[in-house]
Amino acid sequence: MGEIESSKEESKKYSTKDIIVCLKDISVVYGNMAALYDINLDVHTGDFIGICGPNGSGKTTLMKTIIGTLKPYTGQIALFGEDIKDNISKDIRHKFGYVPQTTEFDRNFPALVRDVAEMGRYAKVGVVKQLTKEDKQKAMEALRLVDMEYAAERPFGHLSGGQQQRVLIAQALAAEAEVLLLDEFTSALDFRMSEEVMELLDYLSYSHKITVVTVGHNLELLRAYCNRIICINKIIAFDGEPNDPDLDEAINKIFH
Amino acid sequence: MASILDFFAVIGEGFMLKALATALVIGVLGGIIGVFVLLKGMVFLGEAIAHSAFAGAALGILLGINPLITIIVFGLFAALGVGFVNEKKVMKDEVIIGIVFTSFMALAILFIGLMPFYSTNITSILFGNIFSVSNENLIVLVFLAASVLLVIFGLKKELYFMTFNLEMATIVGIPVRFINYLFLGLMAITIDISLQAVGAILVFAMIITPAAAAYQWTFKLNKMLLLASLFGVLSGVIGVFMSYIWNIPSGSTIVGVATFIFLVSFIASPKRRKSGSGHVVEDCEYCSKTIGGRQFCIEENCVAKDIPHKHDEKGLIIYSSDMHLTKIPSRHKHDEEAEE
Repeated sequence: MGEIESSKEESKKYSTKDIIVCLKDISVVYGNMAALYDINLDVHTGDFIGICGPNGSGKTTLMKTIIGTLKPYTGQIALFGEDIKDNISKDIRHKFGYVPQTTEFDRNFPALVRDVAEMGRYAKVGVVKQLTKEDKQKAMEALRLVDMEYAAERPFGHLSGGQQQRVLIAQALAAEAEVLLLDEFTSALDFRMSEEVMELLDYLSYSHKITVVTVGHNLELLRAYCNRIICINKIIAFDGEPNDPDLDEAINKIFH
Repeated sequence: MASILDFFAVIGEGFMLKALATALVIGVLGGIIGVFVLLKGMVFLGEAIAHSAFAGAALGILLGINPLITIIVFGLFAALGVGFVNEKKVMKDEVIIGIVFTSFMALAILFIGLMPFYSTNITSILFGNIFSVSNENLIVLVFLAASVLLVIFGLKKELYFMTFNLEMATIVGIPVRFINYLFLGLMAITIDISLQAVGAILVFAMIITPAAAAYQWTFKLNKMLLLASLFGVLSGVIGVFMSYIWNIPSGSTIVGVATFIFLVSFIASPKRRKSGSGHVVEDCEYCSKTIGGRQFCIEENCVAKDIPHKHDEKGLIIYSSDMHLTKIPSRHKHDEEAEE
């Protein structure tokens, strides 16, 4: 237990080395409307961040900016201490795992749970080459980690929303991602299932030192699990611990 | 009408060998491309390519050059053009495809109208004749089919990932854009070279029908690819056989057999049987036993047994009124462990 405590203390003390994502003066513009304005944000190793805000507040935009699919209008992004200008290098790209919303998925799509987890290895293996035994093993290990190994041979489309979410997390883990970015995964799940996924994320961030950034509407849920809450509405309205009294004020401000 | 014996008597002859070889190549190629077309949801785009190919053929005949050249140029133009417009997200892709589709048809009618005399070649392009494939066309066919298949198998896993979730594939750094255009090109070439056997109107059946039939049978990509090409070859060969025996157009028999295979697959599909009852019973995540929609669990090991709940396709459902009364034991108890 001593080990765990010391690691917990360590994660509280930030050094510049721990900064994974550094956004500086970021503005993102769609047409002539600003989606994000003057965002300054650091994500540290071991953070479990919940981003919340009303519809159209730029939550998903922020996520996409971090991951490099959206180019900011102004400002600088540094990922793992490296300034990003045009393209994110392969090594850094592979450290990020993105989990999209599970919307209605075709029940009969020809993909087994195992196949979906193995997709995490595809980009690493590269074009034309086949997966090796080691790759497949890594995918199975990732499934074990999210408690979905028992379903490895089942069709992905037959799983419940929460189970699908777990498998997609396994896919990111199979790619050896160090940062998980989850986009509004709670919107398709009921409370019980969102809680389960959150618990899994909590476990991963705790035992495997995986940094988690989630976007969600359900503030209660984010407050219960995250160690840092960010409220945005084009600008950052609040950034701090979930039990900070200022949080409620910020919530009232941005939602009303 | 020729008898079955006649068929076997001519099986060794040049024209029949050529027809069977064409059926084999088109069956395999169409089946495999079709799997990805089906999974990517680009069915309507294929239809548009087939009609653009008809316009290409009409132009080729009008100018007196080998139609295969103009067919491929028109097909590639239609496929890549629609791909480019779709990428810009100007409008819904079905609108764009609808416009491209009809405008190419208009071009085809224009080219036919410009011809000084009505050419029988036009009929053969429209309806196809697998027995009229020339030696050189067969060689081109085999060569193109081999190169298309080679590229498809090289990019198999990337294509698979892209059909699964395009957004995730983009983010992990798969060259989505390049592969997408490449695939559109390959699809156009496949449709264009299959044209001679079944004709512009029916050619798309060679791509979509075997793949759709294979889709009914399996949850594995490799198996689906194998089944689709098998169904493609079967419809080709049986279609040639029937066409010769009854002396009817090969396009109709080939597509007829393919459709029959699809119907049988659709009805006998294990996928349909499973979900036919409208309710899928899933294993309970906690007790790993299946319970069909019961409100109270009789399983001893189910952790939720005291709480009104049911197990269905969504897993474990706890009724919200009781949610806060009893806490379901968590499987990740590290917080408690850490406190100890």
